[in-house]
Amino acid sequence: MIQVLRAGLCDLVMDQGRPGRGALGVPVGGAADPAALAAANRLVGNDATAAGLEITLRGPGLRFPLGGVVALTGARFAATRSSGAAAGWGETLVLAAGETLNLEQAETGCRCWLALRGGLAVPPVMGSRSTFLPAGFGGYRGRALWAGDMLASSATAGAVRLLRARAPAIERDAPLRVVAGPQAGQFNDVGLLAFFAGNYRVEAASDRRGLRLGGPAVTHARAELPSQGVLPGAVQVPPDGRPIVLGWDGPVTGGYPVIAGVIAADMVKLAQLRPGDAVRFATIELERARSLATEQWEIEELT
Amino acid sequence: MQAPIIRGICKMQEGALFLMENDTRAPSQSHPAWRWISDRGLRVETGDSTLTRYVALISLNLPEIEDIIPADGCLFLVFRRGAGLSENLRSALIAPLAGMPVTNGTLHEIVVEYGGGAGPDLPALAERAGLDAAAYINSHAAVEYSVAFLGFQPGFPYLHGLPCALHTPRRASPRLRVAAGSVAIGGGYTGIYSASGPGGWQIIGHTTAVMFDPQRDAPALLMPGDRVRFVPR
Repeated sequence: MIQVLRAGLCDLVMDQGRPGRGALGVPVGGAADPAALAAANRLVGNDATAAGLEITLRGPGLRFPLGGVVALTGARFAATRSSGAAAGWGETLVLAAGETLNLEQAETGCRCWLALRGGLAVPPVMGSRSTFLPAGFGGYRGRALWAGDMLASSATAGAVRLLRARAPAIERDAPLRVVAGPQAGQFNDVGLLAFFAGNYRVEAASDRRGLRLGGPAVTHARAELPSQGVLPGAVQVPPDGRPIVLGWDGPVTGGYPVIAGVIAADMVKLAQLRPGDAVRFATIELERARSLATEQWEIEELT
Repeated sequence: MQAPIIRGICKMQEGALFLMENDTRAPSQSHPAWRWISDRGLRVETGDSTLTRYVALISLNLPEIEDIIPADGCLFLVFRRGAGLSENLRSALIAPLAGMPVTNGTLHEIVVEYGGGAGPDLPALAERAGLDAAAYINSHAAVEYSVAFLGFQPGFPYLHGLPCALHTPRRASPRLRVAAGSVAIGGGYTGIYSASGPGGWQIIGHTTAVMFDPQRDAPALLMPGDRVRFVPR
């Protein structure tokens, strides 16, 4: 059980999302780095599909009235425990009854994930416990956590193992790798050059629906198209020429030209971009992108 | 009624846009063209048989496919990471659709309060169409629409069949908040906002019908292939 003493900026209950509902207009959603949440779950002995918390930029103050086994993965946040023990990242943490875990600002990156042994017991909606904020369903009452909320967890059997997880290495400063989008051919040379050679910045008005980018305007002639299916990572260019990278809760169809698509392997980097961060794009051959192996988290006994 | 003829013209226009938008691979008569548009996304040009092809593909439950998203004249196949185009899928993509039932979905009557506070853009749109408000409403409500696909928001229907005279570009600057249930026009579509939020379509009315409820067995009120009539209140 978790008692929210102080809410963070946007604490959302998330699991691996609700794939297969695109025809209803419902995106997959779920943790922005599903592998990081899955790793946190493994550290506490949960199934990888259990629900945990996705914490963004500034974390919450959480009390564990009954104690609990917890793990944190993703971006490091300033964090303290009332017991004085270290709140380490990527390892099994055993919290005493009544202990509090205080998460402050993200030190690097944007998002971290917290798993609690047993998993967060919110009712599944359309096959998932993930919060879908744009339509206000799923997760904890369809919203971000507030102070005073109480989150239950399911009971689990079996011994607690103390484990450590090692995240796959990512090059933080490398450009986001993209493949050319379906309408890349509609942009003139000026627009293409602006986009592929430009330096962009993540704007404050960014969220899980999309990252808005400030920088060189990407000009194009046609503003509206017949709507087409889009995935998270698609870079749409509205008439004002300011690119938007669609996020995990973005629409499943869009009517703006798509100049490029962030490849699946680099979506974890997108998950850690925060307002003000610099963004550059680099093209990669589609077949090469498709052949990249999925990065693996390594889990080992804590010694 | 002129509606079927008008609809035919609209379709032709959309087809023309489609070819302009697309590269050299015009959809062939025998089977649809497809191309990768991202490392996990395959776009399949399906034209008028989009929903029939959707039903044919989704019912195969192919392991490499995470989801299939119908849109305007095309399907978007989302692959699991690392998965490729299997022989089974290739065969299904080129298999003829002859003999497949034509989708003729449920007819829904949606009661709409047109104009006033419920439809703030109606006066400007009527003027643009050269109609008075009553004639504009009659024109919008006279047609039987078909749900082409859902998108933008969960359960938000893109309806085909809007008379050409009512086609209107989206607003130059979107509203920060559009109420759920708003009946709207965006380009050649009419649609209904299923949730409150920002939106750029022209608002002509409002319905109390609940377009999307995740707790219902069928969360979306309207499904692709369904038919819709608007009934002025």
